[in-house]
Amino acid sequence: MTMERLVFDGAAALTILFAGLMVVHPHPVKSVLAVVVSFFGLAVCYVMLSAPFIAAIQVIVYAGAILVLFLFVLMLLNVGEETREREPRPIQRWLSAVALLVFSGMLLGLLRAYGASAPRSLPAVSGDIAPLARLLFSRYLLPFEALSILLLAALVGAFVLAQREKSS
Amino acid sequence: MSATDWLILALRVLIPLGVILTVVPMLGWAERRGAGLIQDRPGPNRVGPFGLLQLPVDAVKFFFKEDVIPTKSDRVLYVLAPGIAVFSALTTFAVIPYGASLPVAGRDIPLIGAELSIGVLYVFALTSLSVYGIVLAGWASNNKFSLMGGLRSSAQIISYELAMTTAAAGVILSSSSLRLPDIVSAQERLWLGFFPRWNVVPQFLGFVVFFVSTFAETNRVPFDLPEADAELVGGYHTEYSAMKFAMFMMAEYVNIVVACALTVTLFFGGWSLPGFHPQGVGGAILSILIFSAKTLFFVLVFIWVRWTLPRFRYDQLMRIGWKALLPLALVNLLWVAGLITMRWL
Amino acid sequence: MIGSIPLGDVLLASGALFTIGLAGALLRRSAISIFLSIEVMMNAANLALIGYGSAMGTREGQIIVFFIIAIAAAEASVGLAIFVALFRHKETIDVNKINLLKW
Repeated sequence: MTMERLVFDGAAALTILFAGLMVVHPHPVKSVLAVVVSFFGLAVCYVMLSAPFIAAIQVIVYAGAILVLFLFVLMLLNVGEETREREPRPIQRWLSAVALLVFSGMLLGLLRAYGASAPRSLPAVSGDIAPLARLLFSRYLLPFEALSILLLAALVGAFVLAQREKSS
Repeated sequence: MSATDWLILALRVLIPLGVILTVVPMLGWAERRGAGLIQDRPGPNRVGPFGLLQLPVDAVKFFFKEDVIPTKSDRVLYVLAPGIAVFSALTTFAVIPYGASLPVAGRDIPLIGAELSIGVLYVFALTSLSVYGIVLAGWASNNKFSLMGGLRSSAQIISYELAMTTAAAGVILSSSSLRLPDIVSAQERLWLGFFPRWNVVPQFLGFVVFFVSTFAETNRVPFDLPEADAELVGGYHTEYSAMKFAMFMMAEYVNIVVACALTVTLFFGGWSLPGFHPQGVGGAILSILIFSAKTLFFVLVFIWVRWTLPRFRYDQLMRIGWKALLPLALVNLLWVAGLITMRWL
Repeated sequence: MIGSIPLGDVLLASGALFTIGLAGALLRRSAISIFLSIEVMMNAANLALIGYGSAMGTREGQIIVFFIIAIAAAEASVGLAIFVALFRHKETIDVNKINLLKW
């Protein structure tokens, strides 16, 4: 049990714990904040897996921009707690429980079946950024450029959708 | 841990932290005396010689003030928010190299908290996290003015983050590295034998965009509408009193120091001077002094601008960030790319 | 800098995170909470990708995750714009009440 594994396990436990808190807490703003802590834990996991660049991107983009956007929308729309005025039909709860059990069983089964052939432990990949950039701008240049068009489309789409209707 | 290990810990972690925490009250004093100088009045001069004890006395006052937590506020988030603000402000300094390597007991200790391979990205990640301190303060106060002030302030910060990052991208491009010690080393060389290759010269536009963006990032005049007294009552820190308010103020001043240190490192060569190759302990101490002098200069510029310029209206502020600074930063990026292609850089 | 972390740990964490995200998507009623759970599921997939990328000794995993994060950003902005527009009309984001297209 090396130090790295301990840190990774701790960060992963933090991530899972706060994701669980997100599911349980009724107030949406508190849920989002729990997810922020969860994603921060994920960033620590990425650093342990030799991906410091992705960890930085995770904090900057996911925790620092996307979730802030969530918070803005929640605060501006003044969304309150999820009220329990009308209980969802019990069949919905039962079906969800069954689906989750089936899914967990599948996951565990897959892990046991194919986990044996997976590499036992991870060899160290250096945390340098330059090889990553070289790969991004040579083999993956086309997806990179396509991504910029995607972001432009999302920008225009969000702008159009959020406009108030002109009262004519 | 041996004595050497303790020394290394002190040099890399404890001393920078201690220096910043000590500089912050001095900065407050400099701000108020500087205000007096610019406004043709004395400024604090009664408490101690030249009013030097004013800030420590203020700190004691904050410490003893009654700590009011509004009843309907969200207690946990209300108490946590100033902590997040101070935490992100202080930990940003960990990656800034404040001097050349110091040789101690046969080893060369880099005078930097942590030499990360992602360098500058770490600073931007922490800037993104500091937004949460403000948003949570505004929301947890359960006060409409605080909420609006908090949302406006965070919208301002994330908007100017874009221009700031793109301006820094020009520097990263010319230094071919994200690591701040590498960026400083790239500026140590000389042009024509005597002129330092400070990034401010080929990338002056980038420097202007970056410096203006830091004013917006630290919520300083002329971009301080969200927290201006006469506007939204006090913005996100309206409901805060005593120590928590003091923590917000401290976070703001630490942000100023860190922003100036970052500007110096990215555009003005950090701890290096043209033709100066630091050797040994004396060289390292001299490099620390050079870095401190440069950072102090920019901090004084911050103070100078605050008492000189009027503040922008919020819509003007957002327009400048998106329609002026971001395109200029992109132009700067293209310019740097062009210079590198022509092998002039 | 980085030592070895058993792949089993990474996959277990990823699987548990995905299951929790799935539970959130199935059990919550507010549209934004469901969307948040979907983001958690995406991050679980990211963790698995980076784990395997690190195990194979390549950086392809990191590249793919880079693209996924950017796509998630685009999707989040459009999704939240939809929620804002929806809220303006219906004054609620309870998915049980937004049922005009139901049979």
